[in-house]
Amino acid sequence: MKKSTLSLSKNNHIKEPTAKLKVLLAENNHVKAKALMDVLTNTEYDIYHIANSGVPLLKDVEQLNPDVIIIDIESPDRDMLENLNKISQFAPKPIVVFSEQENDKTTINQIVKSGVSAYVVGDIGQDRVKSIIDVAIARFGLFQGMKQELADTKQKLSSQKNIDKAKRWLMETRQLSESDAYNFIRKIAMDNSQKMDDVAKNILSVASIF
Amino acid sequence: MFKIEKKNINLGFMPLTDSAPVVIAYEMGMFKKWGLNVTLTKQNSWATLRDKLHLGVIDAAQMLAPMPIASNLGLYGQESQVISPLILSRNGNGITISTALYQKLLAHKNNTEISMPFSANILSPEIKERKKEGEKLTFAVVFPYSCHYYELIEWLKEGNIALSDINLLFVPPSGMVPSMQSGDLDGFCVGGPWNAKAVREGVGVTGVTSSDLLQDSPEKVLGLMSSWQSKYPQTTLALVSALYEACQWLENVPNRFEAARLLSRACYLDTHIDVIAPSLLGSCLTFNGTTPRKVTSYNQFSTLDDPEFNKPALNCGEKIADLMQECGHISTKQRTELSIANIYREDIYLTAISI
Repeated sequence: MKKSTLSLSKNNHIKEPTAKLKVLLAENNHVKAKALMDVLTNTEYDIYHIANSGVPLLKDVEQLNPDVIIIDIESPDRDMLENLNKISQFAPKPIVVFSEQENDKTTINQIVKSGVSAYVVGDIGQDRVKSIIDVAIARFGLFQGMKQELADTKQKLSSQKNIDKAKRWLMETRQLSESDAYNFIRKIAMDNSQKMDDVAKNILSVASIF
Repeated sequence: MFKIEKKNINLGFMPLTDSAPVVIAYEMGMFKKWGLNVTLTKQNSWATLRDKLHLGVIDAAQMLAPMPIASNLGLYGQESQVISPLILSRNGNGITISTALYQKLLAHKNNTEISMPFSANILSPEIKERKKEGEKLTFAVVFPYSCHYYELIEWLKEGNIALSDINLLFVPPSGMVPSMQSGDLDGFCVGGPWNAKAVREGVGVTGVTSSDLLQDSPEKVLGLMSSWQSKYPQTTLALVSALYEACQWLENVPNRFEAARLLSRACYLDTHIDVIAPSLLGSCLTFNGTTPRKVTSYNQFSTLDDPEFNKPALNCGEKIADLMQECGHISTKQRTELSIANIYREDIYLTAISI
C-alpha cells in the first residue's frame, strides 16, 4: 500500500480536531491514480492508493477503514465496493465515482441520485474535486439515517443566503460549530482561489440533490 | 417491418457467456434485418450499466432479471421506471467450491467422490470444524439483486445451512477465480465462463447449476427505460424482434458452438473458447480431468417446446419478487405494492412476436 499526501492546517478538521480523513483511491492504472492524487495533494486528506482488485482490495478496505473511497466508473470492482454495506462485517463507506468522460452538470446531478455518494466527471484536475469529496462524505452521513433531519434543515435554509445556507448545512450534517463551518468554506475558497460564495454554491448544488 | 423512430441504438452488455443473444443479433445480422444500427458497448460493472441506462447514456441493456424490479423500487438509489419486454436467457449459473475445500469434504466423508449435483449439506462438517476455530467458509456472488444470490440462498436453505453460517462477499466475476486460487474464497455462485474457468485451471469443482436449483428461472432480460419505450415504441418492437430471433437461433446446438467462437473474441469475452463452449453445449465441467456432467439446460435462450420461453410473463416477475422478499431485499409492503405488470411487459413482447 502506497501512502502519500499528508497536510493539515488548523481550520479544516472535519470530524474531530485530531482526525484526518482517510481517502482510499482504488485504481489499477498508475497514471490515472497519480493525476488524482496530485489534485488531492495539500488537502486535509490522507490519500492511500491501492492498485488491487477483487478480494485483496476488499481486505485493504477492511484494514484501512477509509472514510471515503474513490473509484473509476469503469472499474469492475465498483459492484463490490458499492455493496460493502450489504456485508455485515464491513461498515458502509461513501463512494466517489470518477469518469474521464465529460458530461453536463445535469447529468452529474442525475447520476449521483442513482446510488453513489458523488460522481466526479470530466477533468479530474478541476478544483471542485475536493469540495465534491467533502460533500460526498457529508451526504453519506445523511444517507445513513439523517434524511428527515436534512429535509427539515433544507426547509429552514430556504430563505437564507448561499454562504449562510452552506454553513448551516455543514453544521447540521457534520456537527461543526458555526466558526468551523465558516472556516471550512473559507479554506476551500482559499485553496482553490475561489470566492466563498462560489464554494457555497458548489456545496449547495450537491446538497440540493437530496 | 416497423417504422423505426431511432435507428442508432447503444446496447450495453456484460462480458458473460449468456450475453450470446446480443452478440448473435449483432454478428448474425438480426439487428440489421430489423432496421437497427446497433452499437454494443461492453460494461464492467452492473452498477455502471444501471446508471448508464437510467441516464440514457445507453438505450437498452442486457440486465440481471431482478434489476428492473430493483430499479422500480429504488433499491439502489433513485427510483427509475425500467421495463423488460423480453427474457434473454434462463439458467446459466453454477456454484463452484474450491478444490481444497472439496478435498476436505471428501476426507470428512471418508469417500473418493461426491455425487453431483451436491447439496450444501456436504459443507456441514467443515462449517462445524471452522466454528471451533471461530472461522467461517467464505462464499461470493457478483451482485445482490441477482439470481446468483437467490440461487446460493436456495442451495444453502435446501441443505439446511443458515446464511449466517458463512461469510458472503460481493466480488466481480473476473476476481472470482484468482480469489479462489489464493484461498480467499471457498466457493462462489457465478455465471459462465467463470465456473468452467475455475475447473479448467484446477482451482474449483462445480457441483450444482441453476438448472438444479431454481429450474428455468429467468436469468438475463432486456432492460430499457419506460420513457424510452414510450418515445420509441416501434424501435422497441424491432429490438425485441431481433433479439427474439437471436434467441431462437441459439436453440440449435451446432449454432451454439459458433456462438462460443464469436464470444471468445477480444471485443466480447476475450477468453478461450475452452471455457465458453461447454455450458453453451449443455456440458457442466465438474472436476478437472473428469467426465463433464450433462446439463442440457445449462445455458438456455429458447426452447421449441415452450413458445412462452422468452415471454416476460407476469408469473416470472412475481416469482422473482417473491425471492427478493424471502431474502429480505424487499419488504412485505413493497411486495404488496409492486406492480409487476408494469415492469415485466409481456404486452410489448406479444405485439413484437405477432408481427
